[in-house]
Amino acid sequence: MSTAAVEIRNFQKSFGDKQVHKDVTLEVRKGECLGLFGGSGTGKSVILRSLIGLEKPDQGQIFIEGEDITQLRETELVEVRKKVAYVFQNGALFDSMTVFDNLAYPLREHTKMTPDEIRKAIKDQLEEFGLGGNENTYPANLSGGMQKRVGLARAILLQPSIVLYDEPTAGLDPYNTVRIQEMILRLKERGVTSVFVTHDMPSAFAVCDRIALLLDGKIHGVYTMAEIRAAKSGKIYDFIHGEEP
Amino acid sequence: MNNLSLALGSRILGTLRFLGGLAFLIKQTTQELFTPPMYLRLLADQIYHIGIRSQSLVLITAASTGMVMALQFGLGLEKFGGKLYVPKIVSLSIIREIGPVFCSLMIAARVGAGIASEIGSMVVTQQIDAMRALGTSPIKKIVIPRILACLITLPILTALGNIVGVAGGLVVGHHELGLDPGFYYEKIFQTVTIMDYFTGMLKTVFFAFFISTISCYYGMTVSGGTQGVGIATTKAVVGSSISILVSDFFLTKLFFVMFEL
Repeated sequence: MSTAAVEIRNFQKSFGDKQVHKDVTLEVRKGECLGLFGGSGTGKSVILRSLIGLEKPDQGQIFIEGEDITQLRETELVEVRKKVAYVFQNGALFDSMTVFDNLAYPLREHTKMTPDEIRKAIKDQLEEFGLGGNENTYPANLSGGMQKRVGLARAILLQPSIVLYDEPTAGLDPYNTVRIQEMILRLKERGVTSVFVTHDMPSAFAVCDRIALLLDGKIHGVYTMAEIRAAKSGKIYDFIHGEEP
Repeated sequence: MNNLSLALGSRILGTLRFLGGLAFLIKQTTQELFTPPMYLRLLADQIYHIGIRSQSLVLITAASTGMVMALQFGLGLEKFGGKLYVPKIVSLSIIREIGPVFCSLMIAARVGAGIASEIGSMVVTQQIDAMRALGTSPIKKIVIPRILACLITLPILTALGNIVGVAGGLVVGHHELGLDPGFYYEKIFQTVTIMDYFTGMLKTVFFAFFISTISCYYGMTVSGGTQGVGIATTKAVVGSSISILVSDFFLTKLFFVMFEL
């Protein structure tokens, strides 16, 4: 039996004339947190979006817990999206809804919970994320860090087995960065598989088990944290230390 | 010459892309229209936003149009002793043509722009992506309620606009042209048949469909950030208005043939 929660095989994607992904093959083990590194514009977010069916590859396959999602239609992807959560870079909160309604959205859509049960679940979730008392606040009135935390809280309310993070700590102050890291680690303890796209090295070192380096449209290598710490040269060393990889 | 053919080719390609995209959106909408879940609450919200909140705009436009038409025709025809034809001309033009077309153009401007900019803003802030990522369909939650609300409210708004427009003509006919209100009223009912009313209303169903689908399409395909939202909004209003004006001729011709008006 495969230990991979996510498997990408020979993934290719072009935008217009520009081929962004030439041949990406990558495996994410169950329960691990895999960091995805790469320069700006190398297509890290496109890979992440493809893992939940928001983008379709031109060629290749993507397996989520053994199921090839590239052949699924939009309506069939609903089941996949219940078990794979996507944490958007800026939270992507519905700006016409309050924090409460944003969090209630997945519960109202996919569960048979009563309004009282939903209210309790959201209250607990907000407390856990340090956001208690903000139920009636609109996203526009939240700070960037709070918006990201609400986005994360909403994404994981359905208790997904896989969470995809698109630069969740970008632009945050140290306090909010640490809060996000703690939440990711808490999910990891519960056995959630994570893919973590980031440029924030301290956060990656705090939460990731392995790091994959995306370079020239391919995965250049997948490294354990010990290998990265021990590296004194090579592409991953250059990338982390700000050299031209 | 080369530049001209390039520009022409690009324009044709753009039109084909628009028509293909629109057809695809209509196909998706039709497929999802009859499958659960149905979001009746969202439909009710849209009926309020599109219908109820457009009332004043439509009614003021209709009243003004009816009054101006009565005045212009009255003063123009008076020279030839044709003032008595004002009730017939005004009521027939409003009910067959001016009412449905003006009401639809007003809705295209107010609602079309609103739909395109709202959806476009949701696209650039990744809210549409979030909706999909949370396992829900933007077609069901965003597109279908807006199309249905337009289809339901535009004929009703037009019916109200027709009444107000004709009444406006009657008021001007009486006060400015000295026509007897009873005579005016009688002439309206002698001239306008139920078929005139029906064909005018039927046109608005087509117009509502054009406004809502074109505006949703431009909103859903926004790219290029906030500037893209502005461009999409303009395109939605222009596209909806042109489709109303162009299709009006063909629908009029079709109804003349079908119903032998």
